[in-house]
Amino acid sequence: MSRRSIIIFWLLLLVPTLVVGAAAFKLLRNEQRRINQKVRLSAQDRAHAIGDSLQLTVEAVEDGLTEALKRIPTDNLGETLSSWEQRNPLVRNSFIWNQKTGLQKPKPGSSATSEERKFILRYSSLISGRIPWKTSAVEEEQTGLIQSQSIRQFKTGRQKLVEMARQTAREYQSSEKDFKEALQGSAGWIPWFAESSLYIIGWFRKEPGGIVYGVELEVMTLLSRLITDFPLSEAVPEGMIYAIIDGNGKILHQAGKTRLKTGTRPDITVSLAPCLPHWQVAVYFIDGNMMTRSGRGFIMLSGILLAIFIVAIVFGGSLLMWQAHNNLKDARQKTSFVSSVSHELKTPLTSIRMYAELLSTDRIKTPEKKKHYLQVIVTESQRLTRLVNNVLDFSRLEQGRKRYHLEKLNMAVFLYETIKAHSLRIQKAGLVLKENISDENIIVETDRDAMEQVLLNLVDNAIKYASEGKELSIALKVRKKYCELQVVDRGPGVPFAHRDSIFKKFHRVDDSLTARKPGSGLGLSISRRLLRDLGGDLLYRPREGGGSCFIVLIPFQPVNIDDGNIKR
Amino acid sequence: MSILKKRKNESRRIIIAALVGFCAVLSFVAQASAGVQKAGVKCRVEIDRAILPAGGNQRAVVKVTLDAPPPPEKSTRPAVNLAIVLDRSGSMSGQKLERAKDAAIEALRHLGPMDIFSVVVYDHNVSTVVSAQHVKNIEWIEGRIRQIRSGGNTALFGGVSQGAAEVRKNLDGNYVNRIILLSDGLANVGPSSPEDLGRLGVALIKESISVTTVGVGTDYNEDLMTHLSQNSDGNTYFVESSRDLPRIFTAELGDVLSVVAKKVHLIIECPDGVKPLNIIGREGRIKGRIVELSLNQLYGSQEKYALIEVEISGGKSGEKKDIAYVNVSYENPFTQKKETSSGRAYAMFSKDKIKVKKSANIAVQREYNFNLNALSQEKAISLSDKGKNEEAVLELKKSAQKLREVGQEHKDEKLLKRAEEMEVQAGQIEKEGMTKKYRKMLRTDSYQMKNQQMSK
Repeated sequence: MSRRSIIIFWLLLLVPTLVVGAAAFKLLRNEQRRINQKVRLSAQDRAHAIGDSLQLTVEAVEDGLTEALKRIPTDNLGETLSSWEQRNPLVRNSFIWNQKTGLQKPKPGSSATSEERKFILRYSSLISGRIPWKTSAVEEEQTGLIQSQSIRQFKTGRQKLVEMARQTAREYQSSEKDFKEALQGSAGWIPWFAESSLYIIGWFRKEPGGIVYGVELEVMTLLSRLITDFPLSEAVPEGMIYAIIDGNGKILHQAGKTRLKTGTRPDITVSLAPCLPHWQVAVYFIDGNMMTRSGRGFIMLSGILLAIFIVAIVFGGSLLMWQAHNNLKDARQKTSFVSSVSHELKTPLTSIRMYAELLSTDRIKTPEKKKHYLQVIVTESQRLTRLVNNVLDFSRLEQGRKRYHLEKLNMAVFLYETIKAHSLRIQKAGLVLKENISDENIIVETDRDAMEQVLLNLVDNAIKYASEGKELSIALKVRKKYCELQVVDRGPGVPFAHRDSIFKKFHRVDDSLTARKPGSGLGLSISRRLLRDLGGDLLYRPREGGGSCFIVLIPFQPVNIDDGNIKR
Repeated sequence: MSILKKRKNESRRIIIAALVGFCAVLSFVAQASAGVQKAGVKCRVEIDRAILPAGGNQRAVVKVTLDAPPPPEKSTRPAVNLAIVLDRSGSMSGQKLERAKDAAIEALRHLGPMDIFSVVVYDHNVSTVVSAQHVKNIEWIEGRIRQIRSGGNTALFGGVSQGAAEVRKNLDGNYVNRIILLSDGLANVGPSSPEDLGRLGVALIKESISVTTVGVGTDYNEDLMTHLSQNSDGNTYFVESSRDLPRIFTAELGDVLSVVAKKVHLIIECPDGVKPLNIIGREGRIKGRIVELSLNQLYGSQEKYALIEVEISGGKSGEKKDIAYVNVSYENPFTQKKETSSGRAYAMFSKDKIKVKKSANIAVQREYNFNLNALSQEKAISLSDKGKNEEAVLELKKSAQKLREVGQEHKDEKLLKRAEEMEVQAGQIEKEGMTKKYRKMLRTDSYQMKNQQMSK
């Protein structure tokens, strides 16, 4: 599988996921809009219901009082109206007016109370006859309708309010005959605005041109009674406020858990005209949020689930792609490894076979030549052994079966012995060996074979890749807790991009030089793993002036020189 | 001899009262409360001078005093229907709200199982914490009150309306209905003008519900609170420190628990030649020669009065003339019966100026001048509101001077003391300006004076 196909697969996964995700988010937004719309409509319906209920109550109150006005015995008019003023919380003022003589009650002049003076001033245009006594539309359309409605349909507080108005009428049951006559008369309720406030005045006239008498409603009583049955704050969804507002936008009453900021404009308004003109039932959505808690919860949960779904798909897909990429890389490396190892094995085997065949033909007569051929066979066999050892070690390390035999080792002695055994190969490669090994006894506790394998891997690398540098230095120092062995050459060095990767298994710097030289890509990887297993490490530093410097760190603790286990 | 005379007078009064009262003592309950009836509300009618100058029209002040009897010891006191309306707006948080809760609980503990108790709280919302119920499960009610937490704005109108709704649940029963409203801030949700709240007070008194207002701190609207109290015939208090709240509630409840007369109605009728001009310090109605006044409640041993300025057409020297006939009707809360009381005032006329001067009724003069002083305090507030602070101070100083002059003329310690207090207050306002505190002190003081509030 090529990198291109991986990218295509990746795009095939990513694009549909994102498309599905975007579509789902769009659907969610639509759903949110739908819920908002539903909440808005529901709030609007509720506001209308509240408005209707309030109006119905006011109409019932007005109707009750109108009936009472119709029932008042004419001979007792003034006293009855005065007693209403004193006893009935719904009646603020009462009046008797005649077109010819003007206002008979309250009497203008010094005997009027301050409230009466205000009343006269308030309705001066009505009293002066400039404005006619109008029959209200409500009165014309709905008189009788409200009467027939059961008082039970009003909420508890409003029941009492309506009952209060009807009770006033019931006090005059005896004058039923007069009342029938009175039905012929005209009556009405006039909403009146003075000093930015709403007043309501109700009037009755038995016959055209006759006296007009009536009452002014106590609007504060009306409001005080109406608001006690307004939706309770607990019943209003969070983030919403229901309110009654007057013509100036001032809140007369509100219900809702949230505090309303000054100057907030209502989102929904329902007029309370004609009974309470300019008054409105208003609904506010706090911060423009119309959703109920459950609606918000649904949208939020859906959003979170969708986000998790997209992230999971993208993450899972990426993981699979990464795994596929790694497998691909591993497969390539293994193929390359098999090919390299085969080549590695073939080279010494070819030499061994060729020299062995020459020796078997008895055509080699000179003992020097024979010795030389035999030497080649031995050297190539050793090379073969090292290669096989590396492969075996790699296998053991991979499977975790590698076992170490720790022993106390004099590093200087170990180095001299190992270098001596391979000095001929080093010389033949054209390298001049420089040794800088401390004479002091540096005793480390480690696995001798592993150390030998590490050293030979490093020396082999130098022979293989740095022979043109003509120089190989081996130095041994002690640094604090570690014994440091440096293998330095003047070869081409490791390119910057590969400095970490050279220690990975099967990795080979893919340039012309390494391509020309056979290799398994295991040497440095095995060496570092061996050293790390033994508590040390293998590091690479570029050498100043060109070349490589491999640093072998071996844990070091000063050991008594007289210890009998020291191998020499 | 004098003891015998006193006894004679007393028994005469008892007989008159018994005759005048239109509740016959028929049942056992009525017999039990006969003591109350006998010692019912007494009506005294006095004039500022017993002898008026002869000739020419004269102005005089008629004082109608209602002496409420002490509550009877043996009879059960009338049950109370009390709603406490607490402001729990943000400004009440902390000590103020805690003390208010303590005060409400203190009030609760003074009540008995026959009483009705409810608690309404308001911020921008109104909610009923304890709905109207008999005071039986005190621990539960206390727990509910303790749970009250502070909130947002101040929906004072809504709070009072809800409190009234709770009281209204038991309006049919024979209770002394009362709302105690506590607030520390300006009403900013719902109707918030003194006139609107005043109208609410007028409507509530028609249902025999009085609202007592308690203003805490210096940020509440004293005009609004006094209008509400005044129009519903409740008391009003200015409490600078919330620590005083439990004491104020207890005092208020002391008044409420000692109600001896309800729905008190006064009709003052003047004979020909006497014209009522003005009612001092109270709302009432003058219809020709008839003056009508209403009071909601009278507390045990309380003295409440009304002052009416009248103009009397000239009398001849030595003539005796009736000035006013007063009829008082009220409901006895112990018997639930209507009772009445009456009084009469007359004046003599003389050309002797010394006689006229000596006949001065210092008690009437004192109360008249105190009430004029209360009106001056209100005028000073009004002037100060218009930015005329100097004129406000001048008004107070003039009033103090008038008190001093009358006090010196009649050698009356109370008038002189009051004059001194007013001078000190005028000096303070001159120095520091009409601060919120002084404004509230003047407003509350004038209200308490006009209303003859017992607990101050």
